[in-house]
Amino acid sequence: MADPKEVKRLQALAYDMRKKLITLTGYYEGIVHIGGDLSVTDLLIALYHYGMKVDPKNIKAPDRDRFLLSKGHAAVSMYMAMTLRGYFDYDTLMKTYGRLDSAFGEHPCKIQLPGVECSTGSLGQGLAIAVGMTFSARMKKEKHRVFCMMGDGETCEGEVWEAVNTAGSYKLGNLVGIVDRNKQMMTSFDGDYMNLEPYGDRWRAFNWNVIELDGHDMASIVDAIDQIPPITNPKPTVLIAHTTKGKGVSYMEHEINWHAGSLSKEDTEKALADIEANYAKLGGGK
Amino acid sequence: MADKVTWNFGEFLSARSVAGETIIELAKKYPNVWGITADQGGALKQFKKDFPERFIDVGIAEQNLSGIAAGLALEGNIPFIFGMIPFMSMRACEQNRTAICYQDLPVRFIGTGGGLTSGAGSTHNAMEDIGIMKSLVNMTVLSIGDPNMVRDIMLLSMTYPHPLYLRLAQGKQDRMLYEPGKYEFKVGMGLIAREGKDVTIFAHGEMVFEALEAANLLKEDGIDTRVVDMYSIKPLDKDLLFKCIKETGNILVLEDHLMDCGLASVISDACMDEGIYPRKFKRLGIPQIYAGFGSGEQLRKKYGYDKTAAAAAVKDMLK
Repeated sequence: MADPKEVKRLQALAYDMRKKLITLTGYYEGIVHIGGDLSVTDLLIALYHYGMKVDPKNIKAPDRDRFLLSKGHAAVSMYMAMTLRGYFDYDTLMKTYGRLDSAFGEHPCKIQLPGVECSTGSLGQGLAIAVGMTFSARMKKEKHRVFCMMGDGETCEGEVWEAVNTAGSYKLGNLVGIVDRNKQMMTSFDGDYMNLEPYGDRWRAFNWNVIELDGHDMASIVDAIDQIPPITNPKPTVLIAHTTKGKGVSYMEHEINWHAGSLSKEDTEKALADIEANYAKLGGGK
Repeated sequence: MADKVTWNFGEFLSARSVAGETIIELAKKYPNVWGITADQGGALKQFKKDFPERFIDVGIAEQNLSGIAAGLALEGNIPFIFGMIPFMSMRACEQNRTAICYQDLPVRFIGTGGGLTSGAGSTHNAMEDIGIMKSLVNMTVLSIGDPNMVRDIMLLSMTYPHPLYLRLAQGKQDRMLYEPGKYEFKVGMGLIAREGKDVTIFAHGEMVFEALEAANLLKEDGIDTRVVDMYSIKPLDKDLLFKCIKETGNILVLEDHLMDCGLASVISDACMDEGIYPRKFKRLGIPQIYAGFGSGEQLRKKYGYDKTAAAAAVKDMLK
């Protein structure tokens, strides 16, 4: 079972990250993929601050865990989780995000931003790249894991299932997929047109170890991470995290219009108040 | 190695088997060389026995394969993708662009069945690949006819830090053109395969042999034809191009590719951009058509870019 003190620490970080994401979205003139950013906030905090072996001071350490954000449009949430971990400077992120010549683009670019493992943004491509990185680690007898975070929507892409098939066939136990199962794509809900259920069974059918969890309950996330088998496991593992797009902001949750957007001063204030209230319910806050 | 190979001009040798032997040679020396394929790895038959831990076959899934190649390269490896050109260049086009070229990764594509040589019809013909591959930023495009050149290019690729596409002809029966070891091949260079002063035929891949045959036909009419093997299509050997324009005036481009997005286009772009114009310019290759069935030789004849057509075009040009 997850250590309650650790859960509290991670909840406080996720709370801070949500507020900072909303502040940035309010500050930035362009649109931010705020819906998906908020659905992966708790997961990214748990990964960068608990689950993954990473060192912001040594970003090339050979034994570091690798992380690929296949859903590249959630880049700012990855930048923010990494910033809170000590990779980047918060003010620079705030002031330059999305602007000309910034390293912090709308989709992550590894050439522009060292610390990012892989440039992503075209959906469905991350897992195959992670599979390649996993093969390399196995051949070199390295002990780290490769984590790849996907949106559930992008798992409509065929390439994802090609990679799922390869990883299952080659028994890549050092590979961990994380699916942000928010059941919402850009313009539709799961079931409106495309039906992804039975979702876990799809992965199981390809010989993956499936762990389902509540992607907004920090104890559930920590428990899931703790359940990831050792890298010698004959199956890759996928964490299917049940989430809500726009989580934590009442007017965004279950609303199709918040895949991406910008916030007025009023929107920002209301969102921050919601985040404050939610954190208070967890026993946190001032 | 290559310098001990018995060699006769115009004899057949399998470029695929040269590639298959060379990757073993490389893998012995370099622990980061991988041979990977999407069920198109006939050339890797021995490699997969010798280096099973550096061999991947993903089944028929080219997009996935290009992604995996990117992942391997991100970790410091040099993956050689073996496959048939249409699927490697078209099915996996976006992965080649975004996963590999955008990140400027040293992935090597060894593609067989260039042009209409597949014999399998339009699904398997490779007429668009150069146009597609050359448009990808960071991608280098080489087209190789002489099978022995494949080894030289694969060796030099070990120190080349960018993505590299190696277009082979049929891959099973390819004509030897150059005595092994005689020439040094480089990215960005072309090769004068035959000297001449009246006209230059620029060709690549198996069309270099066709161009040399055309030059022999033209010799009977007293026309002295230069043949250039422009194996490096991107980057292009502009110095050699302009030297040939200056020295022979007339140029003919002969290629087994759609003639409006291959070497002829690259050459005409260079001429327009630099303001250096040939006296006369003519291109022969695949027209805007799905060519259908038949051997490469039959189809070249049918669509008017074989040696006879090339010789006729030169004569017309020199009128």
